[in-house]
Formats: sequence, structure tokens, C-alpha cells
Amino acid sequence: MPDFYTPQLDPQHPARHLCRLETPFGARTVYDSVSYCNRCGSCQQACPTYLLTSQETFSPRGRNQLVRLAAEGKLNLTRNRRQAEETLNSCLLCGRCTQACAGKIPTAEHMLELRRTLRTQALPALLFKLLSWRGTRPTAFRRLVHTGLWLRRLGLLRFARGCGFTRLPGLSWLNHADDILPAFPPAAQRRALHQAFANTPAEPTLIYLPSLEAEFFLPQLALSVLQLASQKKHQTLLWPNTSSGLFEYVYGDLRQSRRWVRRLILRHASLHKGKLPVVTDSVDVYLFLRRAPQLFAAWPYWQNKAQAFADCVLFVTDLFPPKLSPAGASARVRLDCGALFSREGKPFEEARKILKTHFKKNFVECLYKDAGTPAFGYSFVRGNLGEKICMSAVRSIARTQTGTVFTLSGLAALELNFQLKRFYPQAKADHLARLNG
Amino acid sequence: MKIPAPAIRALQQLVGKENVLTDDVSLSLYAYDCSLSRTRPDALINLPNEQAIAPILRILHQYAIAFVARAAATNHAGSCAALNGGVIVNTAGLNRILQINTQEGYALVEPGVITGDLQDQLAPLGFFYAPDPASERVCTLGGNLAQNASGARCMKYGGTIDHVLEADFVLPDGTEMHLSRQDPGPDWIGLLAGSEGTLGIIKRMKVKILPAAKHIKTFLVTFPSLADSVQTVSDLAAQGIIPRCVEAMDQVTTRAVEEFAHAGYPADAQALLILELDGTPAQIEKEEKQLESICLQNHAQQFIPAKTEEERQKLWFGRRAAYAAMARLAPNVMVGDGTVPRSELPRALQKVRQILDDNHIYASLLFHAGDGNFHPQIVFDERNKPDAVRVTRALKEILQACVDCGGTVSGEHGVGVEKRAVMAYQYDAPTLDLFAKIKRAADPQNIANPLKLIPLDYANKARPALPPAPAVQALAEMLRIRREAHDPIALIGGNTRLRTHAPNTLSTRSLNRILEIDKTNYTATAEAGVTLDELAQALAKENVFCALPAGKGTLGGAFASGCMPDFYPHVLGLQALLPDGSCVRYGGKLMKNAAGYHLTRLFAGSQGTLGLVTQLTFKIFAQPVRPVRACSFRPGKATPLWRALKTQLDPEGLFPSLPGGTNA
Repeated sequence: MPDFYTPQLDPQHPARHLCRLETPFGARTVYDSVSYCNRCGSCQQACPTYLLTSQETFSPRGRNQLVRLAAEGKLNLTRNRRQAEETLNSCLLCGRCTQACAGKIPTAEHMLELRRTLRTQALPALLFKLLSWRGTRPTAFRRLVHTGLWLRRLGLLRFARGCGFTRLPGLSWLNHADDILPAFPPAAQRRALHQAFANTPAEPTLIYLPSLEAEFFLPQLALSVLQLASQKKHQTLLWPNTSSGLFEYVYGDLRQSRRWVRRLILRHASLHKGKLPVVTDSVDVYLFLRRAPQLFAAWPYWQNKAQAFADCVLFVTDLFPPKLSPAGASARVRLDCGALFSREGKPFEEARKILKTHFKKNFVECLYKDAGTPAFGYSFVRGNLGEKICMSAVRSIARTQTGTVFTLSGLAALELNFQLKRFYPQAKADHLARLNG
Repeated sequence: MKIPAPAIRALQQLVGKENVLTDDVSLSLYAYDCSLSRTRPDALINLPNEQAIAPILRILHQYAIAFVARAAATNHAGSCAALNGGVIVNTAGLNRILQINTQEGYALVEPGVITGDLQDQLAPLGFFYAPDPASERVCTLGGNLAQNASGARCMKYGGTIDHVLEADFVLPDGTEMHLSRQDPGPDWIGLLAGSEGTLGIIKRMKVKILPAAKHIKTFLVTFPSLADSVQTVSDLAAQGIIPRCVEAMDQVTTRAVEEFAHAGYPADAQALLILELDGTPAQIEKEEKQLESICLQNHAQQFIPAKTEEERQKLWFGRRAAYAAMARLAPNVMVGDGTVPRSELPRALQKVRQILDDNHIYASLLFHAGDGNFHPQIVFDERNKPDAVRVTRALKEILQACVDCGGTVSGEHGVGVEKRAVMAYQYDAPTLDLFAKIKRAADPQNIANPLKLIPLDYANKARPALPPAPAVQALAEMLRIRREAHDPIALIGGNTRLRTHAPNTLSTRSLNRILEIDKTNYTATAEAGVTLDELAQALAKENVFCALPAGKGTLGGAFASGCMPDFYPHVLGLQALLPDGSCVRYGGKLMKNAAGYHLTRLFAGSQGTLGLVTQLTFKIFAQPVRPVRACSFRPGKATPLWRALKTQLDPEGLFPSLPGGTNA
């Protein structure tokens, strides 16, 4: 460790921040981590926002330097809040820069730390409030979503859009939500999922933590995951309407995120001595929970517990049978690696392997600069950039004449499907778990 | 520097308010490149299109505002730092490949095109762009030209300087110039290469593309010592084998790479070479046998050919990961870029290792062995001030050692601000004066990337000037007499091309010595008055060859008349007398040199208007090479830059006038 003073972004509120970041080279403070960026620029061409703008202020190197200058007190963020937020919030948190970086600098984590320092509200306020209810008021949240879906089915949202109601300040996100959400799920699917929720196995062997989209908007995704689990002879216990803490980690208060993760850990520990595997259908949630120990770096007791919990977390790729039968004649397929924090590691390799085994020559490898779909609600944060980045993905899909794009999260499939329907209807996007329908 | 409000308004009107930024965040994020330099500009202009460059520069010129052109900012020399503030002109957005013409072998590109993107476009067409800087995935073609970047393929194909056919260029006052290698006169593109944005901004480039080699074979060879690996490279050159790439690494690098990239390098080898051959299968097979025998003669421990394309890619993956393998170890990596004559490489490396050990510095050594260009990669933490000072000092000592070995302070990274001071180790005062005059000619207001390249207050720090040879001294004396008598001179060599009957000629025929034929470095040094016939005979005696055809004309004439433009890339160094009588020296037995303006290219084809070339160092070969084509003498076109240079270097009009008879 260097023997000089290590500045902190927000020394007055240490609890609101990560004490240390976990990197492939060990735990580092945020300042140390950001100082490892030697400005070589290897990340620039990997960043979707830099490719769109060709501006340093929209590049990973620029973002890391912003954090460093802020920590060193060389840039007054109070005076430059608007520009700083522009640089911060434009980051997709996708981790492509980390993948390209020799030092594996976790730029996405740096961005979140600076957001926490500035108490930046990246999402529209109302949307943030509603989504945060999933953790704080789960029953109210469930009712609200169901009501919203019914009202949408009755055409109220379309009417509101027609009247210009959604153009009112703070409500424009409703337009995008309406655009990407699928049609109301068929009754059979809703019933099947409801039954699965109600069914509590006496001796569960697997816990399924469904994502928000799988639970409320894409019941077929949740059912596919359950089917994969049952093929592996699992007795699956569902944890419906449970916040993983990721939403608060990205958009809200880190303390709240810690609370929800602690709740998960305790709940998990209470079953079978905390040995049950926990599967999730969202790669974002998977990556977050696998790195949960870094949330508790200042609390060794909880860190150990979090590590034990993280070791039990699985992604849907772990449920696939080891030997997949090759698909018959099919259109070309590809994998959309849009995710939070990272594009490297087991789930991505496994997913690629599954698709390669299944589709053989029809699997299209993505090129070096192919964009992925913005993950975890980015389109609600920076709609204009999100759309352009999605369009780059669509262009690449059209160029390779791909028929199906498999994603690793339901939300990414929803986002991509909307753009595909508009500009390249020959292709469709679906979650990898739905490989066999 | 405070930018006047009217200037900002004029710029905003020109390119739009959204493209002229003065907020603190934007300015702070344009304050750096890959070096340690960090200086905030006063404004930032994002170029919306290439047409905007000239009007922008006219406004900046009008208000005398300094500017720095910046693209990907991946250079290691601090060339993109706005030292005195001013404006950063962001060219990264000019990233269109406008045309690829495989029939005529060129690509027309904007300066912000990423080098790797061009390679990606060319690969399916069966073509490639030869310069391959290690950062090609992120650096730009404009940046490559401005820094004269090169990479592993430089030994065979040369650097960026040799692969740009035409360039549209804007001088700091907004004057637009179209530069072409076809035009007679000085090799302006050569002068532009490595000028680091101090002469203006590149607007558009036409680069040479080549058919991709169909057959390539790569070898990994391990040695018990660095000296053995370097000797192998010298022996290869002596046998006339020019591999496509020759890359070398020491054990520190090999181990770091293996830990990071698992490329399959033997970790116990003290040194290893990656050699690559291309050509016809028969040629490769023949050269492979010679290669293996030379390697074994030099105590090679293992000679492993890559059997499959996968294995080949793995070997190169390891080499490309060499920077990354070190970069992950500490917050900063300082990459040195000294270059020495190939024969001096073992001595230079020994000195470098000694300096690193004396300063207790952890560093790896990897080098483009074929060019004598080595990169010590020093890992440290810039936040630790004593550490940073120690590293900076050690790097200066390393560069001094390079110069002591007859080398240069930069082979391919450029000078910028980081190596500005050490330029004084390499060049004497008259040569640095000439650099300053070139800068003044192109940029009298000193607004284009000011304070770069040329050391500050160099008069007392510059390397002492060596006395010129007696014959050169005699010529200088004659020049002095003519200057004092205001008697203009017509410079001639053998008078074979100019065929002048003027009474005031001054011939270089008195400079008629062949000074050295170096069969270790494969260079020859001869005075300008040596005839091509004499040269051919002398080389034949030593059983070596050069690219010049035999003839009655002189070496200096062949070079300065512009009749043999294909010979310019063969010239590695020169000495010249300027109209004021001073003697400048540039280059030497170096295969590449990115320190300062390329004086060889300035005097090449200058037709005696700017100076009198007295001595040249050029490449020779172990095998006969096809002679360069000779065209008839054509007076060039007096461009604004040529006129400005003439005014700076020869205000009294002592040397031949510019074509058209006027200097003003």
C-alpha cells in the first residue's frame, strides 16, 4: 500500500459507500482503484457511448479521471454538478471497458460511487419511488403492478399517451414502459405461475429468485426456468416479489441495498443450513449477488455470511443439461451480452457454449465493436443514448442476418424486441432460458 | 491563456454552441493523454466535419489562440497536453473511411479513423495497412502520422511516414494545403510525420494499402541471454533475411506475460524472439532453414514454429499483452522508446539494465529487435512523488545512454513534452535552431501545439556541435564569402540533372569520400559529392548493395534533386550546410527516429533551396535490390510552407530561388 494520504469521495458518510472494491487483483479503495487507470485509452473503443459521441466526457477513461479529480479535490463537483451528472449518468455500467482494460478497472463501480456521493437520482423520481416499493412495500407494489397491467390492457395508457398526459414532466418514462412491455400474458400462463408460487415443496432443493420482469411481465420466462429446474429433478422453492438489493445498489441508497441483501442472506440461512442453491434469471442480479461480499467489507461477520450466500448463487445456464441436443435447421442466432458490471466470466462463457452446442454453425459470434443492449433500465435514465445504442445492436443483428438473439436478462429481451419490431422485424429477442420454449 | 469572448462567439457561430465547450468537467477531461502530463485547456472544440478545420484555425490565428489537435490521445509523450492552455481541437469524430481502392492500392480516410478499424475493413478484401502500432485498436491514423507511429512490422515495411501517399493539411493560419508524394519538391508528408501537431492539423489522408501475405510463418526462439538474441537479429540482417517482424522480450516480460496471458512462453528463458516470415512457401522454407541455423549458432535453446494459425495467434497474443501484463501491476507504466543502431543494442541494453538496477526500479524490457528500438516498461505509482521522480530521472539516464550509443531518444512514440528536455542530449544547437526555424516558418505566432518538441533555452544545454570535416569547412567558408558579397549560388553536384551554365555554381564534388560501409548495421555513410558509379563500385567491393542505380550524378544530387523519390525511405541520416553557414546533423545508423522534425525528408527533393546536403547515411543490403526509379528533373511548386521556410532559412536568397524565381 502506498504510504500517502488516500482521499475519499465522501468522507462524511462512509456507510453510504463501498469501503473497498473487489478487483481481480485484490480489494482496493475507490481512490486506489481509479488511480490504477494509466490513461492508456484501451477502453475507449469498447465504450458504446464513446463510439457514439467521440468525446472524452462520454468515455470510460474520462469517467475514471472525473472520479479521480473529484477525490483529489481538483474538480469542484458542487459547482459542476450538471456536467458531472451528464458524464456519470450516461455510463451504461456495462463493463465493456473493464473487459478491454489490462488492469480490469471497474469503471461501473466508480460511477456508482460518484453517483452515491452526489446523491444523484438517475431514474425519473416517480419511477424510482414506485420501483423502490418492491423492497419496502412488496404487497402494495404487487397490487400496483397488477392494476397497472390491467389498466394498460384496457387501453388507458394508450389513451393517456393520445391525450398527451405522458408528456407531462416526470411521466415521459410511461411512454417507454408502454413501448417495451409485452402484451398482457395469457390466462394459462398467469394461472401456471400463480400455481407455482402457491406450491411450496416440503424438501426444496433449489430456490428461484425471479426477476421483476419474469414475475410480472414475462411469466413464460419464469415458467421456462422452473421447467429447466424440474428437468434437473429439482424441487423448486420460489421467492416471489423479493428485492435482491440490486435496484437500490444501482439507483438508490447503498444502505438500503445492504439491508435487502442481509434479508436474503438470513432467509437463505434459515433453510437447510444455508446450503440450498439460489438461481436467478437475470444476469445482472447474478453478478450483483456473486459480488455481495464487497458490500460488507467493513463488517467481517456479514462479509463471511455474504460469501457463503454468494457461493450458492447460480444463473440459469447452470440448469441446462450438460449434453444439449443439436437444433434442427434454424435461422442464425447470437448472444447479446448486455449486462451490468461485466461481460466476462462463467455465465457468458456457459451461455456461449450452450448456444454453440445447440446451434453449431448457425451461432454468430459478435464482432469486437458490436454493441449490447443497455441493461437494467438504462433506457429510462438516458433514453436518447439508450435508443441509439440499441439501434447499433439492431444494425449488427441485421448485418449478420440473425434470426434470434438470446439475452441473459428479461429486461434486455424486452428492450431489444421493441427496437427489432421497429427496424428489423425478421429477428426477435428472447431470454436464453427460453431456448427450448 | 484567457480566450476572448468574441473568439468564443465566432467559434460557436461556426460549429454550433454544443461543439464549443468551456465547462470545468470537459476541460479537465481533455487535460491528459497516456503520459504523466496533465494541463487543462481553456476551451474544447469538437469538430463536426473536416471542412470546419480551416475556418476554426483562421479564427484562432486571428486572436492568436494556441491550439492542440487531439484524437484518441493514446501517445506516451504528452503531445496532446495543452501546456499554455488554449484550445483543444478534438478530431476523434472525423472517423469515416471514405474510400478503399484495392485496384490502385490506397484508402482515403479522415484523421480520426481507428487504425484497427481500417485493418478490419481491409482484411476481407485481402489487403492490409502495414504500420501496426501496438495500440492500433484504439489509436487513430491521424495520430499515427502526427507521431510517426510504427510497430512490429516496421523492419520490413517501415513506419507511418512511408505509408501516406497524400494528405490534406491546414497550416496554423488556416491555409489549406494538398500534399502529395507525386509532387516535386521537399517530401512535405515526411516533414509532417512526427511533427506532433506543431505545424498544423491533418484534414484527410490517403494511405497506402498492400495485398496481405498469403503465407506467414511464425517462430518462437528462446535464448540463454539477451545478447544472444540481439546477435541473432544482426546475423539475420547480414544474411539478407528481413523477417516480417522481429520482437524480443526479456525474462521479466516473459514471466509477466505468462502470468497474465498464458501464451505458452517458456518462463525459464532469459530472452526470447518472435520471428515471422512471409512470402512464397518455397521462400519461407528456404529462409526458415537459414533462420534455424543462425539461431542455433547463437545458442538458441528452443526453436518452435507455430504449427497452426491458432498457435500463431497465441504467440502474438502474448506479445500484444506485454504492456497489459505490466500495466496491471501498478497504477502507472512508463514506456521508454530509445532506439540505437542494431549493433549497439547489446551494449545499450546492458547500460539500461544497470540504470534500472541502480535506481531500484522494477521494469521489463521488450523491443523491436530488428529496428534497435527498445521499450523499458517501468511500473510505478505517480502518487508517490519520490518514486515518480526516481523513475523520471532513470528514464532520462536511459535516453542519455541511448544517445551515447549513437541512438535517438525516440524511435516511434515522439517527443511531446516528456522528452522535450532530452532532445538537447541528442541534437546540437544548430540542429535545434533549424527545428525552431521550421516551427517558426509554419507557425510564426507559435499557436500550433506550442512548447513541444524543442527544448526550452537549449543554447547552453544542447549537445556540443562537432567540427565539420575540412572539406565541409572549406565549403562553409566559400558560402560565407559569397554571403558577404551578396553573391547568390547555384548548387550543383555533378551537374548531370540541372545542366546549368551559370557562372556562380558551387559544386559538392570536393566532398567525395565514402566514409563507412557498416556491414553490421547494414548502413553506408558517404559524402554528397560521391558519384553513383563510385558508390556502386565501393559497395560491390564489399559485396553489398544499395537501392541507387549506377550513374554519373552524385549521391547528393540524386537525393536533393527529387529525381529519385523512392530513395528517401532508405536515407537514415544526413549532414547539411545551411545558408547561414551552420552545419546540421540528423539521424545516423538508426532504422527509425521520431525525435524532432524529419530533416532527411525536408532536404530530400528540396533542390538546394533550403540547404546544401554534405553527407548521407543510407541503408545497404546483403542481396542485390531493385534500383529505385529515376525520373527527370522537375522544378517543384512553391507552396506557402516552402516559401515560409525559404524566408526563415535563407532570407538573403543566397541559395537557389524557389521554382518560379521568387522566394517571397
